[in-house]
Amino acid sequence: MRRKITRRDAGWLIAQAAGVAGGADFFAKWTQGAKHDVHQEHAMHSTAPPDPHDWRSYRPQFFSGDEYRILDAFSAILIPSDDTPGAREAHVTAFIDFVVKAAAEYAPEMQDRWRKALGWLAEQNFGSLSAAEQTSLVQQMAAPEQDNSKKHPGYGTYRLIKDMVVHAFYTSRVGLVDVLEYKGLAYLTEFPACTHPEHHQV
Amino acid sequence: MDKYDVAIVGSGACGGWACMALAQSGFKVVVLEAGSHIDTYKEFKHRWPYEMQFRGAGQPGFLRKYFKGSTEYNYRIMIDDRENPYTTAPDKPFAWRRSRVLGGRTLHWSRASDRFSDFDFKAASRDGFGEDWPISYADIAPYYDRVERFIGVSAAPAKLPQFPDGVFLPAMPLNCAESIFQAACRKIDFPSTPRRVAQLTRMWHNRPPCHYCGNCVNGCDVGAMFNTVVSTLPPALKTGNVTLLCDSVVSHVLTDSEKRARGIRYIERYSNKEVEIGALVVVLAGSSLENTRLLLNSEPGGLANSSGVLGQYLMDQVSGSGVSGFLPILKNAAIRNDDGKAGGLYIPNFTNIGVRPKPAKFIRGYAMSATGGAMGIPAFAPSLPGFGSDYKKRVKSLYPSFARVWLSGGEMLARKENYVELDPQVRDKWGIPVLKIHCTHCDNDRRLYEDFFERAQELFRAAHGEISDAKPFLSTPGSLIHEVGTCRMGNDSKTSVLNSFCQTHDVKNLFVFGGGCFVTTGDKHPTLTMMALTARGCDQLIDMAHKGDI
Repeated sequence: MRRKITRRDAGWLIAQAAGVAGGADFFAKWTQGAKHDVHQEHAMHSTAPPDPHDWRSYRPQFFSGDEYRILDAFSAILIPSDDTPGAREAHVTAFIDFVVKAAAEYAPEMQDRWRKALGWLAEQNFGSLSAAEQTSLVQQMAAPEQDNSKKHPGYGTYRLIKDMVVHAFYTSRVGLVDVLEYKGLAYLTEFPACTHPEHHQV
Repeated sequence: MDKYDVAIVGSGACGGWACMALAQSGFKVVVLEAGSHIDTYKEFKHRWPYEMQFRGAGQPGFLRKYFKGSTEYNYRIMIDDRENPYTTAPDKPFAWRRSRVLGGRTLHWSRASDRFSDFDFKAASRDGFGEDWPISYADIAPYYDRVERFIGVSAAPAKLPQFPDGVFLPAMPLNCAESIFQAACRKIDFPSTPRRVAQLTRMWHNRPPCHYCGNCVNGCDVGAMFNTVVSTLPPALKTGNVTLLCDSVVSHVLTDSEKRARGIRYIERYSNKEVEIGALVVVLAGSSLENTRLLLNSEPGGLANSSGVLGQYLMDQVSGSGVSGFLPILKNAAIRNDDGKAGGLYIPNFTNIGVRPKPAKFIRGYAMSATGGAMGIPAFAPSLPGFGSDYKKRVKSLYPSFARVWLSGGEMLARKENYVELDPQVRDKWGIPVLKIHCTHCDNDRRLYEDFFERAQELFRAAHGEISDAKPFLSTPGSLIHEVGTCRMGNDSKTSVLNSFCQTHDVKNLFVFGGGCFVTTGDKHPTLTMMALTARGCDQLIDMAHKGDI
């Protein structure tokens, strides 16, 4: 069933490739995609390019050194490095600092929210707590998430940080490609149809 | 003054088609496009979220302020609201999503290509509300054929009277989640078929097939999805009969003392210089509402408005939040390319067409869609409770099982109270008065939405899905980007602006293509019908010209 590129298709593509900007590049990628068996899922990871940003040498622009360290510790509790990479490998804290800094122009209220949230954590001496104490505090802050009869003064802070950390992690190459193994943005000759009999009845 | 046979305003789905059809018939055509000429092969490429500065969301606050409804991927081909404002009453918001670029919204549309049926065209005769269209399915069917044959629509025959089949390329296969939803549809007797999309599944008119990257609405990098620039424009330009004027903002249709259109006045986008060109025929194809705005601005009280209905009967289809959750059978499944075709399963309308014994609490109908699987960024993750390693594992396990059912479009009733007019104060960057839009939902629209919400949950349950997000809310009108009406067609020149060929009753050599002519929204996606009506109107124009009748 799976369609291969025919010689006629290939001839047409070569002709097109010569005529359009970027065509040669597309042709190379498209035929390369065609060589892969679409069920050899791992082969398709090759289409995910590296992250063009140099997060490793990123210096905080919005958060103070203390705020940055607190946020980094908090992020690593939310998305830890375990058998797969976590927030630290994905440079989540650097990305958040970059975004919040850039909010100055059109969304300054976003900066206020982050200042307040990090201020609240500083008041709890988050930075000087032991790892176990930090996790325990995050747990208490998160309580209303599971049970909305519960209240915690840090829930707003938890919500703000979690939403952003989760977004930053799963939009990073580490989160999306290495951890989730997202297979999209590929070059395929055929869409992989569902061939599981158990999915064709309910 | 330069003179042409035909001046076409706009280069989207309808402008592009008109340009091709008329140029191939030997007319000297000029196309005026307010936006710029971009090279889609250079501009569009696969872009991963992490390749962009702000991971697709744009600088905080920027898109929300100036490019509503767009993303970091595509805002450069969308309207800048600073240059192109519109107004509404404070309590009646309307979301008007626009593009100004060669090819218009075809560059980033959802590609859904459905045929209307007589259930749509003749709905008023069935339930007594509003007006029938002046055409029936038989009038337009040959033009649907012609458009489908050219643009390429991948679809499967469904053999449903309310959802006519056409000339199709092979359908794209369903992914796992969609297969499960299809089985669920069979169980509860909902019709279903792969979404019909103008996206190629094989080589077609010198365009390559889809390579399933799923990047469609950010712009197709190879021209596998239909857009003007890769499809209708190349053969039009090949005739040598076409002059393309981009960055040309049209302000007026010019008329002579005998009430005939004699040309166009436009403003050069960057120099602000006013230019007039002459044309024997003027074709407006700059989108439903821009066409109406242009007519309103061309003459006090509106050009071709002896009926007084120009601007009235504005509609968008009813849309709102859908239902999402997980299909447990897909938890922990191996990750597959699930979103590469950016399609889904389509559930055509089955309400108020006589196939269900129980009458609905509303008139007209709606269509739903369903899809699921590993859909890029896991949108469900922020609201999934918890954190830590356990949370990470749950996100991974749920990732391939995510599923959603959404409202593809519900019929919004055509009501006189929903209308557009020129704002007496506000002007755009070029000094042209902007539209003031007045649009609200009626009770029928709300009841229809409520019914969808019940049915969507019913479908989810039939698929043994776990619903995680089901908060009903009706979207702001305009949000579905199916805005139509305001220049409706009809047989009676006292109650309509256009005849059934999209020719104005008042000005014989003035045609208006696009959604403006719609008498009702129907429950289908509108673009294919707009294009088929354009093809039909062009035939009429050509025929009249040959008879010396124009």
